[in-house]
Amino acid sequence: MTDPSGAEISGIDLAAVAGSFGQLLHAAGVPVTPERSGRFARAVALAGTAAVDDVYWLGRVTLLCGAEQIPIFDAVFGQVFRGVADVADRRGDPNAPPPPPARRRGPRPWPSRPGEVPAAGGAHPALLSPGGAAEGDSSESLLAAASAEERLRAKDFADLTPDELGALRALIADLALAAPLRISRRRVRHHRGRLDVRATLRRAHRGGGDPVEWLRRHPKQRPRRLVLIADVSGSMEPYSRAYLQLLHGAVRGAKAEAFVFATRLTRLTRALATTEPNVALRRAAAAAPDWSGGTRIGAAVAAFNDRYGRRGVARGAVVVIVSDGWETGDPAVLGEQMARLSRLAHRVVWVNPRAAAESYEPRVAGMVAALPHVDAFVSGHSLAALDALAAALRRP
Amino acid sequence: MSGDLAGLVPDVATLQRRLDETDYLADPGLASALFCAVRLPQALLLEGEPGVGKTEAAKALAAVLDTTLLRLQCYEGIDSAEALYEWNYPRQLLAIRLAESRHHDLTEADLFGRDYLVERPLLAAIEHPGPRPAVLLIDEVDRADDEFEAFLLELLAEGAVTIPELGTVRAAQPPIVLLTSNRTRDLHDALKRRCLYHWIDYPPLERTVAIIRRRVPAASTTLAEQVGAAVARLRSLDLQKPPGVAEAINWATVIGLLGLEHLDEAAMGQTLGTVLKYREDVDLTRERGLAWVAGG
Repeated sequence: MTDPSGAEISGIDLAAVAGSFGQLLHAAGVPVTPERSGRFARAVALAGTAAVDDVYWLGRVTLLCGAEQIPIFDAVFGQVFRGVADVADRRGDPNAPPPPPARRRGPRPWPSRPGEVPAAGGAHPALLSPGGAAEGDSSESLLAAASAEERLRAKDFADLTPDELGALRALIADLALAAPLRISRRRVRHHRGRLDVRATLRRAHRGGGDPVEWLRRHPKQRPRRLVLIADVSGSMEPYSRAYLQLLHGAVRGAKAEAFVFATRLTRLTRALATTEPNVALRRAAAAAPDWSGGTRIGAAVAAFNDRYGRRGVARGAVVVIVSDGWETGDPAVLGEQMARLSRLAHRVVWVNPRAAAESYEPRVAGMVAALPHVDAFVSGHSLAALDALAAALRRP
Repeated sequence: MSGDLAGLVPDVATLQRRLDETDYLADPGLASALFCAVRLPQALLLEGEPGVGKTEAAKALAAVLDTTLLRLQCYEGIDSAEALYEWNYPRQLLAIRLAESRHHDLTEADLFGRDYLVERPLLAAIEHPGPRPAVLLIDEVDRADDEFEAFLLELLAEGAVTIPELGTVRAAQPPIVLLTSNRTRDLHDALKRRCLYHWIDYPPLERTVAIIRRRVPAASTTLAEQVGAAVARLRSLDLQKPPGVAEAINWATVIGLLGLEHLDEAAMGQTLGTVLKYREDVDLTRERGLAWVAGG
């Protein structure tokens, strides 16, 4: 971001600009708190600089909290401070409009009304909740779902009506997805295990200094990390909505990491972390721009391995991939990347909803390449079949 | 005391120059981040690919401020006994036996006094006597668990820690806190809220060459340029673990140790293991051709 002209910002009150700049950023989708805006203003005052490049770095350091926000920051900063817009116009105008969408990269702000489909840019309407079911009627559909549960359980996700999908949400939320336990390094009080000297001696003070009662600590058991990677390409479209709800439930309930891919990989953990399902699904739809696109499974698994898996997300974890294996890229790449993944992960489970058909044989090239590196292969096409998935996950 | 810091680090450019003098070449972005961390003051969260110099940045900052660097390497299950303090139990027991045999009076206050306290990095940073605040590096905080993150918050927010037997220890000079993360999991929002943030990128070619020249004085300009360019070419390949700055420095050092003057195809064949850490990466590079990497 070197500005060869060495431009300086002059004649304006930087502290005031810092505030409205923070608001602009906020409108563009970076959660800037007043606290951070204050830090920005103080940093600019301390550094005693008015050079645009210096202000750029001070702003980037004080206002952001993640690498994914950098492109948005660059765009908004360029607009405000590099002459794309007149800074003076922005000053003192707390209701300044957000920059036009064309400049915006990365996540867009969520639409304000529930059920409203984000404007251009790819969120697939079918992913959003049916008519944005309001709070009131969601409880009604819950009751209806309970009576029709048995019928719902066996029905293929692809054949569900929008209403049934809404009802499915509650059932999926009940599904306890849990990874097997592993031994943690953290120790907790236990009747056997290693002597806890600190606690034993503190207890001894109660009885005149003699450590009569020996306290021990034992390694705690923790569930392994659960990672869900779902295919949301065109061929998986009938299943995407049901699985997005599963992802949401897993992120909320089992603290899972969630990813989706069609042509590229998107991490959805943050978007799905909110309690309100409608909001979560809308955020998810907005965060991943490639819903119902083509499928490049190999590239997506490679991106996962490189950006997340190798760094530790997949290490010792149970990784679930939901896909029909329709690979438009080179199947050999998928095979290689699955081999890498299986070396990193504790277990790899592949869920293929198409596998439920009686005539199904894994003939798709992508599936054939992936299968040797998969520990369990389940269909998961209906709620009943998801029980098999839950069982496959729990297996140690 | 803060006047002292203001004197040492009056503005970003001066800090950058001083870092340079300790052989750490920081770009304006990192210099701004460290400037804010020192002067606001505010904890700084550094992220970036492995080997871009996150840990080195903390060492260099401590050298510039001529103060102590305290480093806490995080791992799963780390708890206050390892991060904050521990009582010296053998010594306490010994003191009790001694007091018994000599018929001395020994109170609990004696036993739980400073003499019997083993300081760990966090407490040492809080209690650092000065004259300038210590630099506290909390390395790979994403490896610790949520419980530990929550425990860090008190330290970051208050510059104080609580020891039940002694009460709250408040820092006369709150440490300058740098945290690093490899992003294996999302840090808690409450922790991020208290931190400045900087993403360290791979340095561009000229800076890589300058860093190699600085860190490996024995390397000739030609060799540094060759290594820098080769590392840049390797990064353009689709590698599992692209080489960072640390690898570039190692590479130049190794070539020097082997008594080689240039990074040609033969030298590269001998030393590829210092930059590439996966067999697949080595295969991929050989397939692309060592001559291409060497710039031939």
